[in-house]
Amino acid sequence: MTRLVEITVPDEVRRRACAGEEGARQLIYAAVAPATFALIRRLVGNRSASEDVFQDTMMILFERLTEFRQEAPLGAWLRQIAISRCLMHLRSPWRRVRQCLEGVLEGEAGGAVRPATNPPPPETIDIERALATLAPTARAVIWMYEVEGYSHAEIAAAFGRSVSFSKSQLARAHLKLRAWFEPQGSRPTCTLS
Amino acid sequence: MHTELEQESLARLLREIPDAGAGPYDWREFRRRAQAAPAAAARVARLRALAAAIVVALAILALAIRMGGGPRPPHPAATPVTASNAAPAAITEAAPPESDEAAAQYWLDRLPREPAVVHVGTRAAVETLEDHIAQVDDLLSAERAGSAPAARVRALRQERAQLVHSLVQVRYAETLADASR
Repeated sequence: MTRLVEITVPDEVRRRACAGEEGARQLIYAAVAPATFALIRRLVGNRSASEDVFQDTMMILFERLTEFRQEAPLGAWLRQIAISRCLMHLRSPWRRVRQCLEGVLEGEAGGAVRPATNPPPPETIDIERALATLAPTARAVIWMYEVEGYSHAEIAAAFGRSVSFSKSQLARAHLKLRAWFEPQGSRPTCTLS
Repeated sequence: MHTELEQESLARLLREIPDAGAGPYDWREFRRRAQAAPAAAARVARLRALAAAIVVALAILALAIRMGGGPRPPHPAATPVTASNAAPAAITEAAPPESDEAAAQYWLDRLPREPAVVHVGTRAAVETLEDHIAQVDDLLSAERAGSAPAARVRALRQERAQLVHSLVQVRYAETLADASR
């Protein structure tokens, strides 16, 4: 799949979409939706929450399409919107409450998987599962830095925090992910939250 | 160096992760959700307004109760302010002095030294007692100005001393309750 930041849309299609033409909007949707949803899914995690954020993002895209100045590919502009919506979702107090409740329910059911207590065997190490164990903020930071190519300064600006916040989150995420690659016998106890 | 290599391989692994699960819904579904969004947003806004109104109403009610606007307690004589070691009858053992200050001191000296723990419903009891003391003070002033019988003045002083005693006990109970929180 093409990375979102590299996706461009012909100018003619964009102009028709700005004029409200349904077919042109459908073309743009088909071009950007898969990569946008994939990015949102990585940052948000939960499928239903990802769909909500994705819907918001795409609605904002079409509402503000006339404001697009073509200084960068449309995908790069859309990526900014998507990441901004994801971070808003992650900061939402409603999401935190829901996460707490889900954590309690998982705890009651005994279904929570923690790397320090229940690590997968080395032969089935799965980076996706490792990624899923990270805290949402740490997951967003490592994804933005390593995959999307954001700098620490850009991540800090996106989160409204300091550069050292970005660096420390990234270092913690690396530490925790590396723990999954340690041989099981020598795997240290992970104390990260 | 080792860490840098590990970091590089981690970054590479992250970039090579295949897309998670199924893709997004199609254009038709997007349009359907977009059309439903205003109604859903209005519904959420209504629910939030209702929740805010309930919170404000509860806050006002709590404030009203706290400030004594709630149910008024019965007359101090009937309030559940009960001093286990208070013996009102004992106050009338001997004749009090004639001067006001000495009489007040006399009645206060006759009250038990140690405050007793009392049961108080609300803070309104304090206000009621204070109001009642103020009324007795007014009556005392009026009776003195009208050269009332000494027995009447004495009875009022005695009632005042008892009210002050009750007030001290209520305050003490409040202090205990605050300290135990």
